[in-house]
Amino acid sequence: MPSAKNDVWQGTLALMILKTLEALGPLHGYGIARRIEQTSGNRLAVNYGTIYPALLKLDQEGYIASEWGQSDNNRRAKFYKLTRAGHKQLRKEAQDWEQTTAILARFLTPDSGT
Amino acid sequence: MNPARSWLSRFGGFFNKSTHDRELADEIEAHFQLHMDDNLRAGMSAAEARRQALLKFGGVESAKEAYRDRAGLPFLETLFHDVRFAFRMLRKNPAFTAVAILTLAFGVGASTAVFSLVNAVLLKPLPYPHSEQIVFPWRQSPQGLNLGYNEIPWGRTEFLTLAQESKAFESLGAFQSDSFNLTGSGDPVRLDGLRASAGFFPSLGVSPLLGRTFTADEDQPGHAHSVVLGYQLWRDRFGADSTILGRALELNGEGYTIIGVMPPGFDFPRAAEMPGGFTFAREAQLWIPLALSHAPRIPAEDDLLAIVGRLKPGVSIAQGQAEMDLFTHRFEAQGPGAKGWFNQRVTPLNRQIAGDTRHPLLLILCAVGVVLLIACSNVASLLLTRSLGRKREFTLRAALGANNHRLIRQLLTESLLLATFSGFLGILLAGAIVHFIKIVGPSNIPRLGETNLDLRVLFFALAVSFFAGILFGLAPAIAGGRKNLSESLKESGQRSGESRANAGLRNALLVSEVALAFVLVIAAGLLTQSFFHLLRVDPGFAPERVLTFELSLPATKYPDQPHTTALYQNALQKLRSMPGIESAGIIETLPMGGATESTGIRIPGHIPADKNETPYANYTIASPGYFSTVGTPLLRGRDFLDSDTADSLPVTIINSAMAKKFWPGSDPIGKQVGPGSPLYPAATIIGIVANTKRLSLREEPAPEMFVLYNQKVWPSLLTMDVVLRTKADPASASTAARHAIHSVDPDLPLAKIAALETLVDDSVTQQRFAMLVLGAFGALALLLASIGMYGVISYSTMQRTQEIGIRMALGAQRRTILAMVLNHGGRLAGLGIAIGIVAAIAMARLMSSFLYGVQPADPATFAAVALLLCVVALLACYVPARRAMRVDPMVALRYE
Repeated sequence: MPSAKNDVWQGTLALMILKTLEALGPLHGYGIARRIEQTSGNRLAVNYGTIYPALLKLDQEGYIASEWGQSDNNRRAKFYKLTRAGHKQLRKEAQDWEQTTAILARFLTPDSGT
Repeated sequence: MNPARSWLSRFGGFFNKSTHDRELADEIEAHFQLHMDDNLRAGMSAAEARRQALLKFGGVESAKEAYRDRAGLPFLETLFHDVRFAFRMLRKNPAFTAVAILTLAFGVGASTAVFSLVNAVLLKPLPYPHSEQIVFPWRQSPQGLNLGYNEIPWGRTEFLTLAQESKAFESLGAFQSDSFNLTGSGDPVRLDGLRASAGFFPSLGVSPLLGRTFTADEDQPGHAHSVVLGYQLWRDRFGADSTILGRALELNGEGYTIIGVMPPGFDFPRAAEMPGGFTFAREAQLWIPLALSHAPRIPAEDDLLAIVGRLKPGVSIAQGQAEMDLFTHRFEAQGPGAKGWFNQRVTPLNRQIAGDTRHPLLLILCAVGVVLLIACSNVASLLLTRSLGRKREFTLRAALGANNHRLIRQLLTESLLLATFSGFLGILLAGAIVHFIKIVGPSNIPRLGETNLDLRVLFFALAVSFFAGILFGLAPAIAGGRKNLSESLKESGQRSGESRANAGLRNALLVSEVALAFVLVIAAGLLTQSFFHLLRVDPGFAPERVLTFELSLPATKYPDQPHTTALYQNALQKLRSMPGIESAGIIETLPMGGATESTGIRIPGHIPADKNETPYANYTIASPGYFSTVGTPLLRGRDFLDSDTADSLPVTIINSAMAKKFWPGSDPIGKQVGPGSPLYPAATIIGIVANTKRLSLREEPAPEMFVLYNQKVWPSLLTMDVVLRTKADPASASTAARHAIHSVDPDLPLAKIAALETLVDDSVTQQRFAMLVLGAFGALALLLASIGMYGVISYSTMQRTQEIGIRMALGAQRRTILAMVLNHGGRLAGLGIAIGIVAAIAMARLMSSFLYGVQPADPATFAAVALLLCVVALLACYVPARRAMRVDPMVALRYE
């Protein structure tokens, strides 16, 4: 299980947020954190609190936008949604990530590459 | 993707902190509500739901902090915080702050002022387009010939060959100084001008403000009747009349037409920027065509040409030099005995203009750097002392969680704040110093008057303060940051001595301060000695009560020697009969008034030691009464007399250097000597006079022969200096002199009226300037070093108060305590002086070219300065030592 301080985790968290927003549409911080945990099959147990600085960073970079709204059970919450730049960034990062994992996989698979 | 957007947003967040905080709090609250709703739905109790939500969220405060760091600019926030804190700290300790800021402001101010001089004289771009392509191919005097300068004039044949055949130059111009009597409009006035060939203005690349410069057609003999005016002349004499083009002007009795006016600031050439062997005026006021004849040179009429050229684009100085070297070989091959006479050196414009001032200014710049270093180490040691006093504060902050990095940053912020204050104060100080230097500085440092505090200088001042701040801030920051927390906590209960490392650092600072001060004081001492040696040099004449002025006769009115001789004869007669004038004489070139003519000479019967060496001597035209007027002692034989005339035997007087060189061990009186050209008769030597200084007081005497103005002489008498020995103040005689001259020729202006004493004074102004500046720096360095020493010794004595108390309680004598403190200071000072001696010996060798009559490693100077520093060191230690001696053991033991 990756630790929250891990650099890789920081980078992938942003990617996971973007992907979640793409899949589910506008969503609040709690929902995003919950969804990431579920998608990972509960293998990623992180502090929900770490998601907020990451959301702020994406907001500042212009990949997501936020706005206060009502949740399904009538709670007031801040909702985040993907911007056009965010869509583009998601595609780019996903591609990068696939490449990286593919390369790493070649290294880590015992009998390939020889 | 978009860092700029992100920074902008964070910068906004920096000012909008509370909104961000509130929103985050709301968002987190909403988060908990949502989570608890979910948990309740999953069947938990309310308390359990809340507990689980909190647990899952992690540290709320740490999340908030991470968010806050991301929302704003923590770096900027910390900086603001540090600066505010630093302000409070500086205000709390005004004495420390004042001393530190003043010390550093002196360092910054002095170095900024000196830098602004260097900037004006050496660094500022010259007002000529593509000035890097402008060069002066100076002809060099043959090796072994001692003229006091290296550059000698070109002849017309060589210049015309160069101008026609050179491929490296886009244009080449020859120029020669001349002076003009402007008559026909108001008072006659003498103007300093230049005869310049058509290539002169294109080479410099400066366009006129009005009209045009010379065409090639105007630069032909017989057609040269156009004149270009300098801006100042145009403004002062012609009221900046914009319709002046085409107006006629009478110069030296000939008609000229004004064709152009040059822009302000163009007064090329200035004497101070040209080699010493050429007699250019302070600045040129007008330019007329040179109009060189292509006819072969008549030997009687020597050219005194200087050359300026503009290299073709892409041609380097070295390539220009290489082409000139080919010409050298050609010229040498053309004439017998020409070997060695056509060497030349291509000098770039910026080098030429900076000239001799390059070295003195750089010397002063180095000196001011040393002062700055001393100031820095003083402030560093002050800060170090203070940071020790703040040990508890830092320990507390460290205990509360500040890391080392953060503490060092705090200390650096404080020193940079100090440096910023000092920087601004230093700039003000520099402004005052520059103003002062402009008033008292020597007028013969070129472009000194153009010194000002421009952007480059301000940038320099700020950069110096910044680096100084880092430099002196680093020492205490490192010392403060190194502290081990638990040890400090243990220490802070009792008053212990400072740590060994800190004491070492402070001692090292002190030792280097003493060494630097030593070097600077040695430099100042050596220069001062050189200066006084120069003043004591016997110039070979007595300049008191001698008034001089220059007469320049127009060639139209005085076409030949009988006319000129008659004028001078009448003028001398009139002058001698004036009340208030003791004696009068005329001379071709005044002593200390620049180079005189020099010529190859023939001495019948003289066989030179070296066959290839042509005998050579300065050749100066004089009148009876000249030597007695300027007070040059006649060593043997007789002076010129009024009874020596054009019809009597040609006579000459030589100086003792010439006698020693050509007639060693025998009596030259009665022997024959004459100029190289057989057109002029050899003259009989009738007397020997003392050597006089011609260019500077430093020069070695060169052989010189004086000939009588009313006998057949070479080359021309048109410009001569008149010398008068007056009974009272020489300035008072100038009116009488003007009457006397105008009674002979009312159109003749008197130029360059001056006391001979001021000419001698002017020649040492640069030396005096360098001496005064270095002396001031030396004194400043000494003061700073003694303040530093006092600070270090008194602090370390204070630290040892308890120890001293114990020693005294155990029976130590007061004298022992005094010796102990003095010993501590003495050891440091001694080490500093020892290092200083080694450094000063190296430094003095580098500055040996500035010295006169004193050895670089002069033992007396070194001993005196070492003694001086010892005394200063002892005084600085004595005050704290006395205080230590008076310590009451009981008080000391309780002292905490």
